[in-house]
Amino acid sequence: MDWSARIGIGLKGLLLRKTRSLLSALGVVFGVAAVISMMAIGEGARREAVEQVKLLGTNNIRVKQLQLTGERQAGGERRYSRGLTQEDATVIREGIPGLLAVTPLKFVAADVRFRGRQGIAQVVGTSPEYSDVTNFRVGEGRFISELDVADAKATCVLGSEIKQELFGYREALGAAVLIGDTWFTVVGVMEPKMIREGRATAIKVRNINRDVYVPLTSALSRLPATDGRPGIDELAIRVADAERLSAVARLIPRFLSAKHRGVEDYEVMVPEELLAQAQRTQQLFNIVMGSIASISLLVGGIGIMNIMLANVSERTREIGIRRAIGATKRDILGQFLTETVLICLAGGIIGIVLGFGMAMVITLYAKWQTGFSLASVVIAFGTAASVGLAFGLYPARRAAELDPVQALRFE
Amino acid sequence: MLIHAEGLKKIYRMGATEVHALRGVGLEVEHGEFVALMGASGSGKSTLLHLVGCLDRPSEGRYRLDGVAVEALSDFELSRLRNKRIGFIFQAFNLIPQHTVLENVELPLIYGNVARDVRRERSLDILHQVGLGAKVNHRPTELSGGEAQRVAVARALAIEPVLLLADEPTGNLDTETGEGIMRLFVDLNQRGTTVVMVTHNATVAAYAGRMVEMRDGHIVRDSGVPAGLAPTAD
Repeated sequence: MDWSARIGIGLKGLLLRKTRSLLSALGVVFGVAAVISMMAIGEGARREAVEQVKLLGTNNIRVKQLQLTGERQAGGERRYSRGLTQEDATVIREGIPGLLAVTPLKFVAADVRFRGRQGIAQVVGTSPEYSDVTNFRVGEGRFISELDVADAKATCVLGSEIKQELFGYREALGAAVLIGDTWFTVVGVMEPKMIREGRATAIKVRNINRDVYVPLTSALSRLPATDGRPGIDELAIRVADAERLSAVARLIPRFLSAKHRGVEDYEVMVPEELLAQAQRTQQLFNIVMGSIASISLLVGGIGIMNIMLANVSERTREIGIRRAIGATKRDILGQFLTETVLICLAGGIIGIVLGFGMAMVITLYAKWQTGFSLASVVIAFGTAASVGLAFGLYPARRAAELDPVQALRFE
Repeated sequence: MLIHAEGLKKIYRMGATEVHALRGVGLEVEHGEFVALMGASGSGKSTLLHLVGCLDRPSEGRYRLDGVAVEALSDFELSRLRNKRIGFIFQAFNLIPQHTVLENVELPLIYGNVARDVRRERSLDILHQVGLGAKVNHRPTELSGGEAQRVAVARALAIEPVLLLADEPTGNLDTETGEGIMRLFVDLNQRGTTVVMVTHNATVAAYAGRMVEMRDGHIVRDSGVPAGLAPTAD
């Protein structure tokens, strides 16, 4: 019996009771939709994570100043810890081997203005190594130089978005912008970095396209400190070898604890490890969602089996007729199995569309990034077909095993 | 000889009780005969028709269809045999409602793995012969009783059967329409198709060339029309 004829007979059987067939497919529809949207969210999270690591720079370790409060703050003051300073950078740079670069960061809250235009920006005092640590490069002009830092020069490098906001398409290089109360000369503009609005993850990534970089010394001497603390806010470290990342991260507190007199007023963060952890959480989420989806598929499959059993008993006479004109048991088995698989595949197609629709709605409203992968479609289709085969087998066997004479007598 | 049955017995088990539908039946039918199987309901005529039509195997006895020992065949082989040799016509027409007229006629050819264009051409040809060329795309529910039975005849003929079996073919039709169907049978028989028909209507049976009467699972009378065949009452 050829396939087109078999599918044709199967379809006609389903169309005999359209509403019933459609309703019976609902379980599979929702199961598949759940699988698809879940995988789309998972894929989106994966891509987002990879992007964020790229944004921070690979093989990075960040040491951040902590804002101590209450008892811990009192303890810190009693022991005279000065918090994170430039000297910490030197200690780490000289003490730990295998580092590509270490750069200090000082965040300054200051307005950036150019001819009456004001832009929303984050002013960052840093050193020339910043570009190497983060792998974030200048697009035009140059980055802050050693000389700028040594002389605490009033030079600055603009992020692409803030440049656009202040200057539009005009030339920015050589122009003077007002940062706080001080005039700074623009010496460079950073290349733009792709940043997507993502969900809040373990790593808070600011929009670095709105950064304005100034020499660290200038930030400390020419601009008022945000929290009035003389030290720096963050150390960004790049390790040469990815495998030594966590070893170096564990080593850092030992080097810093003497300087900080045992006060833990800083935290060491490895973005890649946090992302790995976030991905493990994501995986757990996937497993939970996957279980819910498979329960839905299971229930859907049982529903379809039920409907098919009802179909078989209602269509006993039809089965008898088919047997009388020469259909073999295999033909009857094939017919009802085809019907079940067709219901499931139709449910699968609707589910795939619905799942992608749900993923798009999630992207639109929750701003979660979602990703479409061919694998998810293949998996969804495969699952739907397997559900059809698994749950169609029993009703189809019942149909095939009917006695032709008894079936023909059925009213 | 087309049908050669000896000592056929059929026992159904209904719970604890055994129903003896056939109690030892012998029947011989030559190629080209038109046989009417008569009898009251419960006489075993339908059971005999099912055995002759290879829908079922006898509990006891031997049956040869065109030289093939049917009692030894598997379910699969029985299906194939029905598909290649036997056409069935029923009282309730038994068309499949979700298929069109053409598809109903094509169905046995689909099960027989006949190529698509061959089966389409043959089915259309037969539908034209039974006068339904204009209704090939209709659904069975859109047909009158007489038309539906003609479609059933066309479906039985599509495989060019050696044996046409009919179970009360005019039972659901008015007299005039029934006569039309019977004339179709006579015509087919004259062109060489062997017909075995179950009926309890003497007028209908009169179209047949031979009458076999059954009672309580036995053949009690056989007109044995073809010369040289002894009556096979048991």
